[in-house]
Amino acid sequence: MIWQQLFNGLTVGSTYSLIAIGYTLIFGVLRIINMAHGQIFIFGSLVGLAVTVNSGLPILVAFAVSILISGVLGVALEFSAMRPLRKKNVPHLASLISTIGFAILVEQLTHLLFGADSRAVPAVATGSYEVGPLMVRQVDLIIIVVSVVLMIVLNYWINRTKMGKALRATAENGDTAGLLGINTNAIIILTVCIASALGGVAGMLIGLTYSALIPTMGLTLGFKGLAVLILGGVGSIPGAMVCGLILGMAEVLTVAYGDSSYRDAVAFGLIILILLLRPQGLFGKKA
Amino acid sequence: MLLQLTHISKSFGGITALTDVNFGVEQGQIVGLIGPNGAGKTTIFNMITAIFPPTSGEITFDGQTLVGLAPYKITDRGIARTFQNIRLFGHMSALENVKVGLHVRTGKGFWAALLRTPSQKREEQLVGQKARELLAFVGLTDIADVRADTLAYGQQRRLEIARALATEPHLLLLDEPAAGMIESETVDLMALIRKIRDNGTTVLLVEHDMHLVMNLCDKVVCINFGKQIAEGTPEEVQNHPDVIEAYLGSEEEDEAC
Amino acid sequence: MDLLNSYNLQVLTFIVLNLILAISIYVTLSTGQLSLGHAGFMAMGAYGTAILTEQAGLPLFLAVIIAALGTGAISLLIGLPTLRLNGLYLAIATLGFGEVVRVIFLNLEITNGALGITGLHSIGSRVYDILKGFGIKSSTLGMNVLEVKALATLVVLLLLFLAVLFFILRLNRSRVGRAFSAIKADETAAMAMGINITYYKMLAFVIGSVLAGMCGGLFAHITTAITPDDFNYHRVVEILSFAVIGGSEVVIGPLFGATLLTALPEVLRVLSEYKMMFYGGLMVLVMAFRPHGLITAETFARFKRKKKQATGTLDDTNAREGM
Repeated sequence: MIWQQLFNGLTVGSTYSLIAIGYTLIFGVLRIINMAHGQIFIFGSLVGLAVTVNSGLPILVAFAVSILISGVLGVALEFSAMRPLRKKNVPHLASLISTIGFAILVEQLTHLLFGADSRAVPAVATGSYEVGPLMVRQVDLIIIVVSVVLMIVLNYWINRTKMGKALRATAENGDTAGLLGINTNAIIILTVCIASALGGVAGMLIGLTYSALIPTMGLTLGFKGLAVLILGGVGSIPGAMVCGLILGMAEVLTVAYGDSSYRDAVAFGLIILILLLRPQGLFGKKA
Repeated sequence: MLLQLTHISKSFGGITALTDVNFGVEQGQIVGLIGPNGAGKTTIFNMITAIFPPTSGEITFDGQTLVGLAPYKITDRGIARTFQNIRLFGHMSALENVKVGLHVRTGKGFWAALLRTPSQKREEQLVGQKARELLAFVGLTDIADVRADTLAYGQQRRLEIARALATEPHLLLLDEPAAGMIESETVDLMALIRKIRDNGTTVLLVEHDMHLVMNLCDKVVCINFGKQIAEGTPEEVQNHPDVIEAYLGSEEEDEAC
Repeated sequence: MDLLNSYNLQVLTFIVLNLILAISIYVTLSTGQLSLGHAGFMAMGAYGTAILTEQAGLPLFLAVIIAALGTGAISLLIGLPTLRLNGLYLAIATLGFGEVVRVIFLNLEITNGALGITGLHSIGSRVYDILKGFGIKSSTLGMNVLEVKALATLVVLLLLFLAVLFFILRLNRSRVGRAFSAIKADETAAMAMGINITYYKMLAFVIGSVLAGMCGGLFAHITTAITPDDFNYHRVVEILSFAVIGGSEVVIGPLFGATLLTALPEVLRVLSEYKMMFYGGLMVLVMAFRPHGLITAETFARFKRKKKQATGTLDDTNAREGM
């Protein structure tokens, strides 16, 4: 029984990892937390879902639309809430606050267009396999595989390609990178775009996990992503990957063996725990 | 020895910033720390004031170790500093900046402030008076109520010194106090530092202005690439071959090219 | 007396409540810390007070005090692991806290879950009873009962607000206030001046939480009915916007913000439907063009200078704390 629970935790956890990586990318390059992340990708996912459901097109289209819309919103965020604050004499909290404002705007837009009710996600790949003691749904496999593949591709892209190198340089020291001829503004736009697009995928995958998308999920999922960020160590991609899975499994175990109504509180509990025991996160370096 | 650094080394990840630095500062001295940019001088200051700990080695002050203390405790022990790139409380007035410096030697907390007890009122009066005295000491009486970040550069440097002096330090660390100053300002600064020493505060300063160092300091320590290459009187250090090489070596290389 | 009808009085009451809430977030921001948990603290104060008055039968004002102090104690538990770290952690932890409190209150029996607690005695009723005890009735005052109660509530809140403001201004002018200011300006320099920044950040955070808790208790006994949804993320953003849009450098900033942002949706009916959108959009705009808020220390100093030219006195501490 416990293996089934842990496996389910892996499924939802891998989406948490994707969400957390979105934060990590933006934090790495801009040193700020994008508080609008959750709201942006839920909006994108809902648009993708609406397009698919209304047109009858395959679910892949929903993914594509979600990625596109989330990416576009991410770029809008960069231009309205982040770029204007990259000048002198701006208090360091200002960008955090600005993204909170943007988050509320997106959330209100979501409410206007999609209301508050849960929306069903059409069933995809309904088969399942028996692997030893586990019942592995086809859709679970898809979710895990997509997440893992994306993370591998991202890792490769960041560490092995020229663009990725430029990104790492900008993350390390924006001024120096600029002096070396890197178009840091373009890198930033690209990073925000990718981060939000990854979120767009994560949102759709979550929809597949629960066969539904709830418009208010943006805040909850956004927060869980932040919890993973802190657990893994702010700025660490491996940390985000591993700790997303840990959170997923911790939640599922809480539901199975504890009280299911406190599922959403697990993330918060883990944050407090890690800040008390190892504030730099599991994969972070001591300050 | 008032301050003693023994076998001090510091690495940041893979980069070694300091290797085996050993020197002391005696009560009543003005000691200068010199060396090319990036040699590790501010790193030494940062370790004395506990912004980060040394990787190895010992720092003692008045016989007691400083390693492991929180930065605010260092000030409590009697060490104060100014910063290389001036860290004033910009939005506060000059007077208020100095009043903050008096924080560590005063004690009225939350309840006293809320209830405005007689002893709190007395303390506030005393703080105001002392702050004005300190501003007068550095010659800034006229700009007491001016916002710190609108002051002229030279005034800001002097204000930072006044603020540091407010903590009643036994040892004052000055990080490039003459940076950006014109000659007349530097002369005034030298007189001020002598006044500070004559009042009983020992001074350790980092400086690039050789005229100031040679004329003001009792002892000079030279750091290059994280290593201590000379220690002695200004004349001794000035004529030390390693020091000459450290400062002029690049010139010879340029000529050779 | 028509302008003083009970509806208008209630609007004014909420404006005053928001003024106190604005101060609660201002105190935390005055050390440069961002707390996203004030809705959660409000919730604790509200439910704490409600349970103490309904189930333990405690007198209203005692209940408010106890609940507020209890909220402060809980905030201490959140502050301890987070305040010694970068301010980011406090922001995220308090965000989580707010959500967790909501989830817990949705599921506990004593808080009656999603239905919340209703039928609480209002402040107005309490004062009315006291007045009746002295033989003063609504007819004596020439108003109907509802109006008396509404007016009584407003007066109580005004008195509380003035008291809080008075003490916060006092704090600002003191050694503690200077420490807060120094920490906000430059933590490293503040530490170098011998200030124990973790202690002072904690102090500011707890003061803010206690005030928010008190406001929660008051809120519960103005509306007489509370549900967990009254204290959701929207509430956090609303309180934050007072200080962020109004200005977080001087006390008058958040007060201005609270007044403006609470009154505008009342005056411009169309805004009230899109209130949150308005707050969010305004937040982004203000951060982009005037990141310190609409009223900055500069604005206030300029205003004081103009007054000085007219009257002839200027005090440096007045200029800094904004009154």
